[in-house]
Amino acid sequence: MTISIWRYSHLILAILTSLFVLIASVTGAILAFEPISNQLQPYAISGAHERSLAETLSVLQQEYDEVFTLEVDKNGFVSASVITKEGDSDTFYINPVTGEKLGDLIKKAPLFEFATNLHRSLFLKTTGRILIGVVSFLLILITITGIKLILKRQGGFKRFFSKVVKENFNQYYHVVIGRYALIPILIITITGVFLSLERFELLPITKTSHQYLEQVEPENKLALKDLKIFQDLKLETVKQVEFPFSDDIEDYFIVQLNDKELLVNQFTGDVVSQQNSSLVTILTDWSIILHTGEGTIIWSVVLLLASLAILFFMYSGFAMTIKRRKDTSKIKNKFKKDTAEYIILVGSETGNTFNTAKLFYDALLAAGHSAYAASLNEYSTYNKAKHIIVFAATYGEGEAPISASNFNKLFAEVNQKQTISYAVIGFGSLMYPDYCKYAIEVDQMFQKQPNFEVHLPLFKINNQSFEAFKTWIQQWNKSSNQDLKIQFKKPQIKTKSLKEFKVVQKTALNIDHTFLVQLRPQKKTKFTSGDLLSLFPDQDFIERQYSIGKIENDILLSIKKHELGVCSNYFNQLKLNDVVKAKVKRNYEFHFPTDAKAVIMIANGTGIAPFLGMINDNQNQTKTHLFWGGRTQASLDIYKNSIDTAFSKDTLSSFHVAYSQEQEEKFYVQDLLLKHQDLLSQVLNTNGVVMICGSIAMQNRVLEVLNSVTTAKLNKPLSTFESNAQIRMDCY
Amino acid sequence: MKTIKLLSIASLMFLGLMSFTTVAESSKYKCMIQMTNYTGEGAYIVISLMNPEGEYEETLNVIGDDEEWYNTIESWWDFYGKRRPDIDAITGATVSGGERTINVIEIDDDKLDKGYKLRFESAVEDQEYYEKDVEIELTSANVKSKVEGNGFIRYIRMMPQK
Repeated sequence: MTISIWRYSHLILAILTSLFVLIASVTGAILAFEPISNQLQPYAISGAHERSLAETLSVLQQEYDEVFTLEVDKNGFVSASVITKEGDSDTFYINPVTGEKLGDLIKKAPLFEFATNLHRSLFLKTTGRILIGVVSFLLILITITGIKLILKRQGGFKRFFSKVVKENFNQYYHVVIGRYALIPILIITITGVFLSLERFELLPITKTSHQYLEQVEPENKLALKDLKIFQDLKLETVKQVEFPFSDDIEDYFIVQLNDKELLVNQFTGDVVSQQNSSLVTILTDWSIILHTGEGTIIWSVVLLLASLAILFFMYSGFAMTIKRRKDTSKIKNKFKKDTAEYIILVGSETGNTFNTAKLFYDALLAAGHSAYAASLNEYSTYNKAKHIIVFAATYGEGEAPISASNFNKLFAEVNQKQTISYAVIGFGSLMYPDYCKYAIEVDQMFQKQPNFEVHLPLFKINNQSFEAFKTWIQQWNKSSNQDLKIQFKKPQIKTKSLKEFKVVQKTALNIDHTFLVQLRPQKKTKFTSGDLLSLFPDQDFIERQYSIGKIENDILLSIKKHELGVCSNYFNQLKLNDVVKAKVKRNYEFHFPTDAKAVIMIANGTGIAPFLGMINDNQNQTKTHLFWGGRTQASLDIYKNSIDTAFSKDTLSSFHVAYSQEQEEKFYVQDLLLKHQDLLSQVLNTNGVVMICGSIAMQNRVLEVLNSVTTAKLNKPLSTFESNAQIRMDCY
Repeated sequence: MKTIKLLSIASLMFLGLMSFTTVAESSKYKCMIQMTNYTGEGAYIVISLMNPEGEYEETLNVIGDDEEWYNTIESWWDFYGKRRPDIDAITGATVSGGERTINVIEIDDDKLDKGYKLRFESAVEDQEYYEKDVEIELTSANVKSKVEGNGFIRYIRMMPQK
């Protein structure tokens, strides 16, 4: 429930402020160039800032008839307001070493003038300034709700920067860019609000006012260069010096430093009065620097990127909202809720689950059944219903998705008159700790109500996998004696982006129906062990991926032949020199770490393929330990060659095998790990990396073992190492 | 009649002689404007020379370089806005509360002690406009004096430029 409040506020605030934020970020992006172009002006004299104020002041005094003020701006440019020897009054940049004029003051370019006006007051003067101030404050709220949403999605602070599941372009980059941009955006908005408050005098104001005793005029006047105070002050600490208006003893040098203001007696150099800058003044100063990027190119670039990021968020955010609305209203019901036999209920957060539900709905209709689809929030009585099928996603820490926010309450209130069979399909991602938690909850709710009987047990689908969904459809068809056909949309594959690979080696099937294929790219292709090879079989055009082991410059795949497997059978019938069309997908998260001292690789079955490449390509001589689980001793034979080579090259430190079928009691790779707890904890504790490749079932067992090892030996949960990118997985 | 004629010729000659010696004679004055500790945006200030009839004679200095705000200095705008002569050479940046600015203004010597006045007008965005923040007789005594202001200006000080 809470998640939708956060998202709702995030969206409402964004809609409310959109126009203003659009203007402010476009102009902000333009204005980011102003400090950059100013910084690039040639008015900074290197080394000049180390000089003392006395040197610069006296050189100015010699060079000009009269000097009124000296200013050092945030770019480090020194300017002076003077009367020249020709008698003209002028202000310009000077060389603090020689006192010479370097150039006229930078005049604000008309574009920047225009952008500044629009940025801070929308050309509406006071009204505009108030509007912009308020919008800036609302943008803080948007940022905070955004942070909250990321925390919810990622499952806590520690996982803030861990991997994001990619559902689609907009969603993925909204989150990924959001994580980095929100800090600068917070800074921009907070300083913006601060500057508005300051502008409208809503902050405590303390103007410096000096109080001092009247001075007695001494007989001798010291030369400017002999005044001690100016000798001690470095130019870099000075903001401004106002020269005394006349020779009168009552006229002082007014020296503004970064943190205080001094009145200096022009005869003696004594500090007559000293006032520290107020906190508000200092904060205002910092706000201006942070908000405008004045004086630093790097921060200006950060501000520019942040402005562009805001524009992207507006685009992607609204695109997501529109898509979500479209998706959730995709199903046009042909039957009424009280006439349909099959009731499909959907709990979806982003609308993706509706897509899958629609496939099932269409298949039911095509087979001549009456079906009715609705969101879980519309749960009600269904007079003719025989089956209820729930498609439930999970959001954040196991919370109900947005279209099911009210379901738990409804479910308790609504009583079905007849007995209905039910099946629940859960959608989630294994990358989050609460995998399909909401679906589990819904399944249990149905179990507890006597009016429902289970038709199929709870089925979980990882990352919207079509494969898994097809498996469920098979289960459904089997148990209900139907033959539903899911109409998969033929994905648009750019056949041109596929590359050709030639089969250069292929082993025979071993005892586990597993074989190795070695493919040679026909054109130059970038890849390394751990990347994925994507194939699109003609039969259904659904992408299949295999983990790559890189041996020399060839791709090594380890494939297990399934009786009905489209792709594995395709590979199995290949002969030497046949050509395969496929695409390499870089999988940077699963590359061999370049900086770790030690690496532990854990695999079962065909999951060993990427590791076969890595152990033979370990040029840094990183300590590598390979753990592998297979069925029998004979299962290892096809891999033996690669492992022996690695040992002979000294690129593999140890190899441990678990055979599940060789003894009475089954012994798996996770059991093998329990015998090497010291090695595991030592590697993790010294910033080493654990890589896991193989089946999901194995991955889950292994993660349990690793968690118990780190908790017991290192007193930390495994998630600490996960968020530190020390656990890398590629499982299926 | 004769006497009148003679007098007029004599005076003409006298005037001619005078003008011969004083033509284009002008002096520069250093003029410091010290602002009060008001809060808000930088002030726009115009220093004008007023003739004995109280009309604008010449714009001596404009503090504030964004023309957008010139119309807030209302009386002067009536004078300047119609003709808009080029004032780039006598235009400087705005001054904020508590700050001071020093400018050099140039005044023809023959205007001194002739009933001319110096007027300092000031205006701040969203705040008041002072038509006569400071107005002083243009006398040889006043051009080296300190005068208190009525509005955003705390005081002005003037000094002949060496």
